Amino acid sequence: MNVTPTEDKKFLKELSAGTSALVLLGVVGSAPEPMYGYQIAKLIETGGEDVPMMKQGALYPVLRSLEKTGLLESTVEPSVTGPPRRYYRITEKGRAALGRWSELWNRTKSIVDSVLKGKRHDQSDR
Amino acid sequence: MTKAIDDYLEKLKAALSGADPATIQDALSDAEEHLTTALEQALEREPGAVAGVEAAKIIETYGAPEEVAAAYKEMETMTPVTLSLSDPAVVRPRQHRFFGVLGDIHTYAALLYMLLSLATGIFYFTWAVTGLSLSAGLMLLVIGIPFMTAFLLSARGIALIEGRIIEGVLGERMPRRPVFFRRDLGWWGGVKALFADRTTWSAIAYMILQLPLGIIYFTITTTLIAVSLGLIAEPILTYFFDQPLIQTTYHSYYMPGWAMPVSVAGGFLLLVVTLHVARGIGRLHARYAKRLLVKTEK
Repeated sequence: MNVTPTEDKKFLKELSAGTSALVLLGVVGSAPEPMYGYQIAKLIETGGEDVPMMKQGALYPVLRSLEKTGLLESTVEPSVTGPPRRYYRITEKGRAALGRWSELWNRTKSIVDSVLKGKRHDQSDR
Repeated sequence: MTKAIDDYLEKLKAALSGADPATIQDALSDAEEHLTTALEQALEREPGAVAGVEAAKIIETYGAPEEVAAAYKEMETMTPVTLSLSDPAVVRPRQHRFFGVLGDIHTYAALLYMLLSLATGIFYFTWAVTGLSLSAGLMLLVIGIPFMTAFLLSARGIALIEGRIIEGVLGERMPRRPVFFRRDLGWWGGVKALFADRTTWSAIAYMILQLPLGIIYFTITTTLIAVSLGLIAEPILTYFFDQPLIQTTYHSYYMPGWAMPVSVAGGFLLLVVTLHVARGIGRLHARYAKRLLVKTEK
């Protein structure tokens, strides 16, 4: 059975659905000053050029929902050219969530890594 | 702005149809902000680049309208209402809602708009009536059609400016760019489209109606504010300046002492009521302006 690009796409979509909130919270959380959407998109893009983690347009609804749940807050500032920009910054609640989520991520990551390396089998053999 | 971005925003709007209006507005403003910023910076990096080509690349990385729309719709269903900060289910006590208007910046902006509307109303009315009558008169001559075209274009321009004022002051989302005319029609086709467009004529109707509305708004605002300030100042006027409440040639009628506190309290109450009236009229006017000034797709 060969894996088609659509299946890759589906997997990537499901994968990013869970991690995008963590990534965005992390990016905004570690930024020294409030960031607007395009800056955040650029920052994520330089992470991996060939396989985009998510379409840039899909990043904004996540930012909006993080704001709705009180993990981020935003202010709108007029820009010299074009429409006003929405700047995001992390809240206290967001920082706490980022800490917890990082831990959950690390746990998930080590499980996935160990399965992929086959360590689990070694352990179960013993 | 670039045509490609405008087209994209239209497609995104179509893909989002059926979603919550606020979500649609958020999605459109997010996309507009991102695409224009990206295009601007791309053109800065490579001054020689063609805007259309760059815009296409940027839109490609932003994602297909359907994809982006799906992401927003998903968010709408996933965010639990209980978690959202502005929970509409929370009912505030009635007195909070009544006096809350004092802290609402939009109210004062609406008040300002109502005072301003007399001035803009006079200008719009004069412009529209002059333009219409001159167009009618000049129709007999060669310059009739060009003159009327210029006048109609100016009406569309004023509609855009009035929309910007309304969005800035009353907070109603209004168009940020002039209405796009299809370029493939040629200039004669463009002129015909301008004459045939309902929005051109409703914008002129808006300009004419703005004078009576402006007079009404201005009168309501100034009368209510003057009466409430007068009621509040009544004790000072009576005891410090010896000004009677009513004065005829032979008689002066003073407000009795027991009525003074009632007068002051009534004045404050009327002031709050005035603010409510201003906010209400502001909202109604914004909705009405949107109907007349903004092109609505069927």
